[in-house]
Amino acid sequence: MVTYDDGGDTSPSSGSGFLSRLFSTHHKTIGLQYLWLALASVLVGMVLSALLRLHATWPDRAIPFLASMESTPERFAAMRLLHGSLMVFFVLTAAPQLGFGNYLLPLQIGAEEMAFPSLNLLSFWMTVGSLVGMTASFFLPLANGINVWLASASLFSLAALFSALNFATTTIEMRAKGMTLPRMPVTVWAWFLNAILSMLVFSVLLAGCAAVLSDRLLGSNFFSATSFLAAQPQNLVRQGSLPILWQRLFWYFAQAEVYVAMLPCFGIVTHLIATFARKPVWKERLVVLALCGVGLVGFCVWGYHMFATGLNPYAPLVFSVLAASLGIPAVFLLASWLGTLWNGRVQLNTAMLFTIGFISLFIAGGFSGMFLARHDLARAAVSEEFVIGHFHLVMGVAATFAILAALFFWFPKLFGSRLNEELGKLHFWMTFAGVYAIFMPLHWVGLLTQSHVLGEEQRAAIASAGASIRTFVTLATVCTVSAQTLFVINFLYSLLRRGRAQENNPWRATTLEWSIASPAPEGNFGDVPPVVYRGAYDFHGDSDLDFVPQHLAPELPAGKAH
Amino acid sequence: MPGTTTGQDLDLVIGKGNGGGGGKTPPAGGNGGGDEGKRGRKGQPSASKYYAGVAIAIVAILMFFMALASAFLIRKGSGEWVPVRIPGLLWVNTAILLTSSATLEMARKRLANSDLSGFRRLWRVTTILGVLFLVGQLVAWRILAGQGIYLATNPASSFFYIFTGAHALHLLGGVCALLYVAWRNFDQAKVSLGVAAEAVSYYWHFMDALWLFLLALLYLGK
Repeated sequence: MVTYDDGGDTSPSSGSGFLSRLFSTHHKTIGLQYLWLALASVLVGMVLSALLRLHATWPDRAIPFLASMESTPERFAAMRLLHGSLMVFFVLTAAPQLGFGNYLLPLQIGAEEMAFPSLNLLSFWMTVGSLVGMTASFFLPLANGINVWLASASLFSLAALFSALNFATTTIEMRAKGMTLPRMPVTVWAWFLNAILSMLVFSVLLAGCAAVLSDRLLGSNFFSATSFLAAQPQNLVRQGSLPILWQRLFWYFAQAEVYVAMLPCFGIVTHLIATFARKPVWKERLVVLALCGVGLVGFCVWGYHMFATGLNPYAPLVFSVLAASLGIPAVFLLASWLGTLWNGRVQLNTAMLFTIGFISLFIAGGFSGMFLARHDLARAAVSEEFVIGHFHLVMGVAATFAILAALFFWFPKLFGSRLNEELGKLHFWMTFAGVYAIFMPLHWVGLLTQSHVLGEEQRAAIASAGASIRTFVTLATVCTVSAQTLFVINFLYSLLRRGRAQENNPWRATTLEWSIASPAPEGNFGDVPPVVYRGAYDFHGDSDLDFVPQHLAPELPAGKAH
Repeated sequence: MPGTTTGQDLDLVIGKGNGGGGGKTPPAGGNGGGDEGKRGRKGQPSASKYYAGVAIAIVAILMFFMALASAFLIRKGSGEWVPVRIPGLLWVNTAILLTSSATLEMARKRLANSDLSGFRRLWRVTTILGVLFLVGQLVAWRILAGQGIYLATNPASSFFYIFTGAHALHLLGGVCALLYVAWRNFDQAKVSLGVAAEAVSYYWHFMDALWLFLLALLYLGK
């Protein structure tokens, strides 16, 4: 920890100790910290999901971790809540927006820092606090657990609000010279729009959380218990602790979170497809408009739901509206992705595989979404397993694929070395096959068990078929979770190898972050602020130099760039 | 050439976001000149960053209160609604808050005329008026509590307390910002006193307007 460098003017750099790094206000450090947080959460969350499936399939067997606590339905529900909270808040929300966004947004717009670095640090540590709180709520008795969980969710909302404020202001105010709005990479658009959306959504969420918390702790009457409890089954009311609330509350948050989690993923996927198809984004304007549309629709649905139900978190889930309204902008996005891929010189590396995997999952999830969007079909289709299959495909796994694609793509920028391609591809195929093996059968089970038209003996046959399908799903879950060790090995191995001499722009990408060294140096662009001369996706021609970086001055327009 | 486009875009975006918070005149002189060259340069963020930040924060806060307002309106329609009689003191408090906005503007005008002592005096008056408003709200709560109306009494009282309470909490933040501007030494700061005062003034006027909205809601909603 001794530094021989006594230059007083050096900013707190990597040499100045672990603590100052931990509490650094630098956007790249904070972005990486979010990513570490997400990595830890996703590993724990995945193991939890495997445990949940194992327990659901063989409820009588003693499973090491579960045996220590009595396996009541409430504990089971609490565990599901922990799985959901970790995944939704600290992986799906944190990684694509807060992790990659914090690291890359300033780099991609040519800025030195986020607009409000100290605020950024504050929101990171509030997020950490919320993670601790949500984890603690799992170990507390149910009634206290709900309170702690609500407080943690409020804290997370507040942190998300501060982050969103930072992201929006940074995008508006800190862009380099020449970085006009049409020249912004689609990723920046997505982070920006998502910041605005999350600002609106999380402030409402905070209000809701505060009101429920006040109801529970101070006895206020925002969602007066009388009218709510009257609608609940009697045995639940008498217990006083309502396990069903855990689920309902989780859904209430998840509904808004779908958009917040998906928007940056759309941006990442669009960006990667253009880079690896070596073509400009097809109908880039339309893509940006569609992203606005996702944000707008997301907010309208959310707002409608809020106003129609009066902020009531106990209102039942309306998946149909959600699925239907995402459809139109989603089709635009899909058209653009396919149009970009069309006739592109596609490079099928791991990042691109995960990107295409995202599209596949998105389409598959979209199809099952149509069942849920139609009211009459929904009544037949909505069983727990069908819904679980649907939203895990379209939101959970698809977003995770986008995150992994982003990690493979930007790993050289973050750490200075590439992830191993062979291991990565193996990991991709195992995961890709695995998630389909898990979630497609869940759809079938959901549909099977809901059928009311059959006779008695046919039902018995279906029930036994359902049981064997469930066992298959559980085995697939365990296999897929185990396959993730490949990723962990790849990640750690590549981290250890870092620092090797690397070309600065391994993917031959156009955006500003690749114009500087990898990993990105402390001061980003040094003393000369970058100037942007063109759009973000200037790919063309068949030559080896088929791209023009954004920062390249158009000195030789006639000769080189044809 | 590209720079000008950026500027226009910016104005557009900020102009939209500012709708809730009372558009003010452009920054009072002093920092207008060197603004263009600063964007993206090391350690010299432009002043408009702070205006944009405040404007965006205002939108978020507005959403927070709109959510509560929607809950209020729907809850009101769902029966078992016993309206709260608003204490007369609230009208006095409202007058105090409106006056504070006026003194804040007067203070900023003094600053623009580089009358620093006049600015400090009026700024202090604004702060005191803000604190007075908060105290007045507390007293109003005591009055209600004296009548036996608490947070948990009925839905209407719950909403009364959360509206006034949340607004008071936000205004407390405003008072802290006023104190910060008063005590901060702006000699080596990244922002000038004028910029800080203007950013705070947006927030303060917004708090003012928000209070009028909430009061109307509570008054008409009884």
